[in-house]
Amino acid sequence: MKRKGRKFQKKSSSSLNKLSLFQKNEGRFGKSCPLSVKNAPTIDYKNINLLKKYISENDKILSSKITSVSSGKQKKLTKEIKKAKILGLL
Amino acid sequence: MSFYENTLITRQDLPKSELDKIKEKYSDLINNNSGKVVKIEEWGLLNLARKIKRYNKGFYIHYKFEGNKETLNEINKKIKIDDLIIRHLIVKYKNLDTKNEYFKKEK
Repeated sequence: MKRKGRKFQKKSSSSLNKLSLFQKNEGRFGKSCPLSVKNAPTIDYKNINLLKKYISENDKILSSKITSVSSGKQKKLTKEIKKAKILGLL
Repeated sequence: MSFYENTLITRQDLPKSELDKIKEKYSDLINNNSGKVVKIEEWGLLNLARKIKRYNKGFYIHYKFEGNKETLNEINKKIKIDDLIIRHLIVKYKNLDTKNEYFKKEK
């Protein structure tokens, strides 16, 4: 747990550092909300490929600080992810 | 009347004839209780993310239907008794989209 905490501090300290740390998995997340664009993918519990991007390796939901999803969309995401978990899809 | 989606997960070790029976049983149940089935999808045998009642795989059947409170009560009653069904989820929708099928490619 301690390690994780330290990592998080590093990320928030500088934007450049954040990018290099995230290049492995979440390099695709930009500054603006990726789900509020035109022709954005629909958030739905059946759309597993989309939901998989927003959970960590341990099946935890990623915070909107990391993914920069808008607060309204984040609420919807969490609900749909939980539905998918009930059905054993995630 | 409002729109709903119902997803059933059945046990993995059932023969195909049994699956068809279940499929018909629940579509009849909806149609007979002041509801109307819009679409039925079969997602096939999928791996479960975690074990559910000692099963690693499940056969998914997905209904899109129109109905009211009576239909839901009847479905919930029947599913509770049914041993063959491991788990189910009913979600309410304002509009159903019948175009997108997220699980079609995997077949």
